[in-house]
Amino acid sequence: MEARRKQSQFRLLHWYPNSGFWLLASGFPPTQHMALTTYVEAIRQGIWEEMEKDERVFVLGEDVGIYGGAFKVTAGMLEKFGEWRIIDTPISESAIVGAAIGAALMGMRPIAEMQFADFISCAFDQITNFAAKCRYRWGAGVPIVVRGPSGGGVHGGPFHSQNPEMYFVHTPGLKVVCPSTAYDAKGLIKAAIRDPDPVIYFEHKFLYRRVKEELPTDDFVVPIGKASIRRPGTDISVLTYGAMVYNALDAAKELEREGIDLEVVDLRSLLPFDKETILESVKKTNKVILLHEDTRIGGFAGELAAIISDEAFEYLDGPIRRITAPDTPVPYSPPLEEFFLPKVSDIVNVARELYAY
Amino acid sequence: MNVKDINPEILARQVVPPTRLPPDQTLLDLLYYMKLTRELEFRIERKLYRQGKIVGGVYVGRGQEAIAVGSCINLRADDVVCPSHRDMGAFLIRGMSLRTILAQYMARKTGATRGKDGNMHMGDLKHNLIPFVSMLADNVPVAAGIGLSFKMRGQDRVALCFFGDGATSRGDWHEGVNMASVFKVPVVFICNNNQYAYSTPLERQMAVENVADRAEAYGLPGEIVDGNDVLAVWDAATRAIERARSGQGPTLIECKTFRMTGHSAHDDAGYVPAELFEFWEERDPINKFERFLKERGIITASGIEDLQKRINREIDEAIQIAEKDPFPDPEDCLKDVYYEES
Amino acid sequence: MADTKVIMPQMGESIFEGTITKWLKKKGDKIQRDEPLFEISTDKIDSEIPSPASGVVQDILVKEGQTVQINTVVAVIGDGTSTPAEAPKEAPKETRKEAPKASPTEPPKEAPKEVKGTAPIDGPVPETDEEEEGGEEGGPEGTRSSPLVRRIAKEHGVDLSALAGKGTGINGRITKRDILSYVEQGGTAEKPAAKAPAARPAAPVPPPAAAPPPPPAMKFAGEVERVPMTQMRKSIAEHMVMSRRTSAHVTTFFEVDCSRIMKARENSRAEFERSGVKLTVTPFFVQAAANALKKFPIVNSSVDGDTIVYKRPVNIGIAVSLETGLIVPVVKNVDQKNLLGIANAINDVGERARNKKLTPDDVKDGTFTITNPGQYGALIGTPIINQPQVAIMGMGAIKKRAVVIDDAIAIRPMIILSLSFDHRVIDGAVADQFMAEVQKQLENWPV
Repeated sequence: MEARRKQSQFRLLHWYPNSGFWLLASGFPPTQHMALTTYVEAIRQGIWEEMEKDERVFVLGEDVGIYGGAFKVTAGMLEKFGEWRIIDTPISESAIVGAAIGAALMGMRPIAEMQFADFISCAFDQITNFAAKCRYRWGAGVPIVVRGPSGGGVHGGPFHSQNPEMYFVHTPGLKVVCPSTAYDAKGLIKAAIRDPDPVIYFEHKFLYRRVKEELPTDDFVVPIGKASIRRPGTDISVLTYGAMVYNALDAAKELEREGIDLEVVDLRSLLPFDKETILESVKKTNKVILLHEDTRIGGFAGELAAIISDEAFEYLDGPIRRITAPDTPVPYSPPLEEFFLPKVSDIVNVARELYAY
Repeated sequence: MNVKDINPEILARQVVPPTRLPPDQTLLDLLYYMKLTRELEFRIERKLYRQGKIVGGVYVGRGQEAIAVGSCINLRADDVVCPSHRDMGAFLIRGMSLRTILAQYMARKTGATRGKDGNMHMGDLKHNLIPFVSMLADNVPVAAGIGLSFKMRGQDRVALCFFGDGATSRGDWHEGVNMASVFKVPVVFICNNNQYAYSTPLERQMAVENVADRAEAYGLPGEIVDGNDVLAVWDAATRAIERARSGQGPTLIECKTFRMTGHSAHDDAGYVPAELFEFWEERDPINKFERFLKERGIITASGIEDLQKRINREIDEAIQIAEKDPFPDPEDCLKDVYYEES
Repeated sequence: MADTKVIMPQMGESIFEGTITKWLKKKGDKIQRDEPLFEISTDKIDSEIPSPASGVVQDILVKEGQTVQINTVVAVIGDGTSTPAEAPKEAPKETRKEAPKASPTEPPKEAPKEVKGTAPIDGPVPETDEEEEGGEEGGPEGTRSSPLVRRIAKEHGVDLSALAGKGTGINGRITKRDILSYVEQGGTAEKPAAKAPAARPAAPVPPPAAAPPPPPAMKFAGEVERVPMTQMRKSIAEHMVMSRRTSAHVTTFFEVDCSRIMKARENSRAEFERSGVKLTVTPFFVQAAANALKKFPIVNSSVDGDTIVYKRPVNIGIAVSLETGLIVPVVKNVDQKNLLGIANAINDVGERARNKKLTPDDVKDGTFTITNPGQYGALIGTPIINQPQVAIMGMGAIKKRAVVIDDAIAIRPMIILSLSFDHRVIDGAVADQFMAEVQKQLENWPV
């Protein structure tokens, strides 16, 4: 399934009215019965299917049961699976993750929801000191998934818009994934649930309902640690993840009119990440833009820049450029947030400069 | 805390005296494990560490042996224990070998964590022992989750979770106890209140008088026992374990005791008034229990001597083997960060 | 029985030394394993230290009151028969071991310094680049490139100085495109045929000059705004400096009385307009120039190495100033057109230039260029030759002046024409004769 996926191109379906956002569809031939599924629905389906298949899988978190989840990711699950598999907890992120760890040590496969990924900081200790180090210290796997909606663009302000991925990318023993399409959202949540190690799964809230795809109904998994080339190109590689993938694609469309051909690589996994695909792309185009919504210092772009400079120096025909949010908390007021988030025009301008270098 | 503030009568009133006794064999096992714990920790702290054979930090539970031993002695093999750093008795009772423990302390490849972590940070799913982390009270939510999994699967297993007075100040302690109570999980929370957290005395650690007072706030029963009376501990723990096993939810047991050493082997506890050490030395749990057993005719003085000799021999043998065990290879540093197909 | 070393233990994670306060045994004493052997004092704690082995205290290496680092051997337990060991030093003040200094790394290999294939230069020897932007070290003779380009050059055995001055990247950097097309063309000094942006009028004839000296690093204390050049501007910039380097520019000035052509224009204007052609003064100058070019074909030529290439057709380019830059559409075969035809053609290309509708054909194969600095009031211009031509004529503003005719003062519309010419092939005398012919044509226009 995954191999075939790589060759398919994105095709426009239709302009989603009043959202200013294109919906993307895959090029899958309609050999199976398929449905147009949103990104959030894809996550829900992924969890649901795994819970049906494996009785060890359960969900715990705030408002996941009777309310169906703040973003309705677990809608309908309480009725289907019962209160011992969709567990409404007190407001205790640390205990939510701690309890997940305990249950995982006893052989279960818990999915701990952080209502907003921002709140994961309350469980930082349990994740980084308990879960991440168990296998290393005493050979015991902790197969938990900690998932939550991250990212901005929704007027959420500093505590509902963060991109906390790097705290966890910096912790050996964890895995960190950030899907950008509905297909990947479903494939990666399944991979995360099935993974024997703790996986931190950041779903981008801006994409929840804006991104739709036809998904195959059979079981499929997206492997953790593999990137995907969303748009092959020859002039500049744009390495990115999350909602920024769409900004990069929009920029590519604009730039192709000027004869500048971007290659857009969707990282999908930050830890482990797909070094092979990244270096291959850089060696092909010889110019790189590193793009993420996360802030600049300590962001993933710095890590990639070091790797590219270290391992592909002789393939560079221009300096490595970064496009990131500035080093501030995420502001609330719309003009401030617009300033904060990397824009399509930023990508276009940097690409033009880099192209002319 | 001044010795003049400790009124033995008040202490006696607070604690719950034992309502029954275990069978004789259990009594002997209790003595064996307490003495084994004492001797093992003595060798570790006073000998091996000072001979440079153990590096890093060493923490012992001298004077507090009754707590782990009394509560763990009657557990089932499929029950789970989440110990803290002064619960050596728990490891011994659950079946971890002396050699493995000593190799762990001496950072050898044959230790419980293969050199990846030191001293009491050990455990083994085979023995249903969950290693704790230095962020004390992190094990409380984990224990709650363990109990939750028993409930979800309809198993009548029980989890024991140990922590000290200091750990109860951490947020994770409160989140974990609260969650355990909300879900009524089969966990027994056991507090070793030895009245000092490093150099922080109790009155600087909490505004309540007893840790067990907090139980009411979280809707679970709380009990105070004399932590230096192994039978009192045994009794309270056995009742709490039965409660949990029968689905009645968690209990908080506070064991009042005293830390007879510094916080660690390199701390001389100069901040503790000498009178307190004297006061609690008279209440040493092992001495107390030996007196009790002799009075009851369950063991004689020479029986106790023989027991000590046996313990010394077991530990000597284990040290000899563990001392010769290899250190891990340097490249082992890179192993086991993630699951690897083998 | 082997000897056992007794070490100073580490009593606490931050402890790095300890002091022996008391030996409980002396040399020669028997000792049991775990029996107290000595006492120490550290920052954190005073401790009694037990012996690690049984035997005889063979050597005491550290005295009471001495402070040593942890893991120092302080005593040896033996069976009483071995020779004494050396006493260790007192703990030095500096306790950290210094890492051995890393050996200096080899300087990176540079491409060979000899220049291949190009003509020797008379100009100043170019210095290596002091980079201010881009951060690349200057390659041989100051050619800026990139790691990729240097690697490709190395792989193909290309000396980057062969491409010096021909880079199409920012500040003349040699780009991947440059090196690859250089390699494709067999590594000659030819300039790669550029994707023609609209403004480029020159045919791809290689200029004989070698690397120009790179500009010094720009330092300016004040706010700046950096704007990358458009393709057109880049092309113009490159062409201008290249032209100056190529031709031996001299400019000569002729003052011409325009009264007759002004009159002729008046007479013919209405008639031309009926044919839909607006008549300005420019066609007169173009026709006059064309006629003069027929008489002085050297001015209608090009230079190719040491060959003069005389061109048969007379194709005159008319410089048009646009918002985005300068463009020179060419009126072909001016000598075969009459005034109306010339006027028509001029208007047509001018129109299309302003509306960006010129075709590549419109801007190539010019043999002579006319530019109009007088458009904005300049009296005189010193235009730059439009390569690969050898002359360019600039028209100043037409202004009524008081002139002397037959020893009397008259008011006449006067223009100053300037001719910049390439002294490699056109000597001053020839240029002046050419201009005299132009003047004669204009001042004797039939009215």
